Amino acid sequence: MAKLSMRERYSLLTRDLDWTPTYVDPKVVYPYTRYEGIKIHDWDAWEDPFRLTVDSYCKYQAEKDKKLYAVIESFAQGQGHLHLTDARYVNALKIFLQGVTPLEYAAHRHFEYLARHLDGPGPRFAALCQSIDELRHTQTEIHTISQYNKYYSGLHDWSKMFDRVWYLSVPKSFFEDAITAGPFEFLTSISFSFEYLLTNLLFVPFMSGASFNGDLATMTFGFSAQSDESRHMTLGLGALKFLLEQDEGNVPIIQDWLDKWFWRGYRLLSLVAAMMDYMLPKRFMSWKDAFELYFEEQMLGGLFPDLEYYGIRPPRHLEQAIAEKDYMSHQAYWLLYNFSHAASFNTTIPTPDELDWLSASYPDTFDRHYRPLWDRAKQLADSGHRFFNLGLPMLCQTCQIPMTFTEPGNLDRIAVRGSDFRGEHFNFCSDGCKWIFDREPEKYVQAWLPVHQIYQGNCGGATIPEVLAWYGIADGADNGEYLTSPDKASWDQWKASAQSGGA
Amino acid sequence: MTVKALYDYDYPSRDRQELFGDDMLVNVQWVNNLMFAAPACFRAPRAMPWADFKAQLIDPWAASDPDYDPAAPKDWQVVGGQAIDPGANPTLADTGVVHKGLILFRT
Amino acid sequence: MSTAGKVRPVGVDLQDSEDTHALVEAIEADNPAAEVVHMPGLIRVTVVGELVIRRDSVTERMGRDWETHEFQLNIVSYFGTIAEWDDDKIIIKWEH
Repeated sequence: MAKLSMRERYSLLTRDLDWTPTYVDPKVVYPYTRYEGIKIHDWDAWEDPFRLTVDSYCKYQAEKDKKLYAVIESFAQGQGHLHLTDARYVNALKIFLQGVTPLEYAAHRHFEYLARHLDGPGPRFAALCQSIDELRHTQTEIHTISQYNKYYSGLHDWSKMFDRVWYLSVPKSFFEDAITAGPFEFLTSISFSFEYLLTNLLFVPFMSGASFNGDLATMTFGFSAQSDESRHMTLGLGALKFLLEQDEGNVPIIQDWLDKWFWRGYRLLSLVAAMMDYMLPKRFMSWKDAFELYFEEQMLGGLFPDLEYYGIRPPRHLEQAIAEKDYMSHQAYWLLYNFSHAASFNTTIPTPDELDWLSASYPDTFDRHYRPLWDRAKQLADSGHRFFNLGLPMLCQTCQIPMTFTEPGNLDRIAVRGSDFRGEHFNFCSDGCKWIFDREPEKYVQAWLPVHQIYQGNCGGATIPEVLAWYGIADGADNGEYLTSPDKASWDQWKASAQSGGA
Repeated sequence: MTVKALYDYDYPSRDRQELFGDDMLVNVQWVNNLMFAAPACFRAPRAMPWADFKAQLIDPWAASDPDYDPAAPKDWQVVGGQAIDPGANPTLADTGVVHKGLILFRT
Repeated sequence: MSTAGKVRPVGVDLQDSEDTHALVEAIEADNPAAEVVHMPGLIRVTVVGELVIRRDSVTERMGRDWETHEFQLNIVSYFGTIAEWDDDKIIIKWEH
């Protein structure tokens, strides 16, 4: 019997296994795909270019896993962590494991839900593959980064911390906003906005950072995951075009979602911007350069002209994101430096070489606005008064980041916006976050804001030590200044004994 | 309701005033000192006299900067409201600052 | 500024491995205008307009039978739309 072509096999194993029920109204079988206002007339119009079937999926994914775990084993056996440029780099991994890995797990759960609840067999199968991919990513990230948990602080209880710790409410609230929306908003927010539009701004910094800093394990996991990401990107762009093509009435709904999720995703990426400019001993690219290449050039220059055909325009508040590329990373890292006594990672003052790199990468802003802060920080640290901001910060109701971002056009002035709803006042860091709140206030008034929850007595107590204990953060070990941390002490010892030939 | 849902989407706010009883949340910003990456958020009784609020909450926080002089703050202003006259020693409620509102000062 | 209707670059980022070298050679042979840039661990291939990957070309250079499905093992990222993917070829381009 002749071998089936990809097209035929795909048709037989997806579309041809589907049926229209005669024993119940199809709307009862798929109850969630009408309430968002999106209209679908023909689910068969959703084509998956990858045309994966269950046999080829399992074969290729198994191969990826075998290759990855072989590298992880060799990394563990060869004490691979000692090849890092510096132990300070591990703080980038702490942010990843604490902030990104739980999102992979949430994505796994939600794509599983889509694999059941989308009407069309093609998208259902693509969602099922993605659900298994995301679980694989969760697992591979845990296994990869747990190698570091053997030697470094802060990585020991990432799952509990995700649900409790202040800076982790930023990714948590982002994803929970998406999974509590309907299936089409989720596809627009995560599959498209996060995994197509903004994906390179998340993955390339971490993976290239790993590569530049001797982290073979993370680089390997990163490449393994990225090969799945190309399918996810395709699902995202495919979903978006499908929705836009199905009905003209869908276009304004999708545009609104694009506007919302570009901004939410962009604000989330401030943690990545801080990481890539300040937490990599060997930096490969600035946030500014990454934003210009991956967003302005590839997305604005490549993708959005494609979407213009459907009546889609680039997102609202984009001009602010473009303006902020010159200073967002500095503001975000300065914030982390302020509060790292309450975080499960260390921060420190950039070295003189690093300060010069920052000057060169940000000629219009760094020396004028941010170098003076670091000079003062150094002065204080040298006199035994390492600066920590010993209060709880004011938070943005939508993105939940402390209010640190500045007024467009004025880097000396923190931007504050407000709205009143049902007689209660709410604060925002930006026009973008205010806009998001104002279109769905009933949702955002329920935000679990870490600082307010501490003040309501829901976080283990009224003092910082009690809150840290509730967070699972060991004071003096997981938090604070890098130079006086156990991580640095261990590193210095390992490097010294390596030089003297000791074990 | 603005949220699309299959049921009546109506839930209470997680930070509404009644959850804080006679207290309120007040944010404070030291406008011209960007050492402080963000304004601070405090919980305090609505009836707290200004002098106590400043001495017990604002001063210790601002002293994170060793150069802070408690006599230096001026131009106290409720955002969206009135200037604050510390000499009159108003209660927080008297200043007109709302629950989760913002007060500015400079030095 | 809209660049719709103008021919814009599309591209693919590939993992830098033994298998990928043959793949890149095939792409370069079938896409004369392709630009290839080497980065740590990554090879980026960019073409203005359309990028085509042909199964026969890759098989010839790899020294073994190669299926287009295997492409997903090497890919890190891409920009453009996957316009076609069947047993013989993969085409990446912008649709509009």
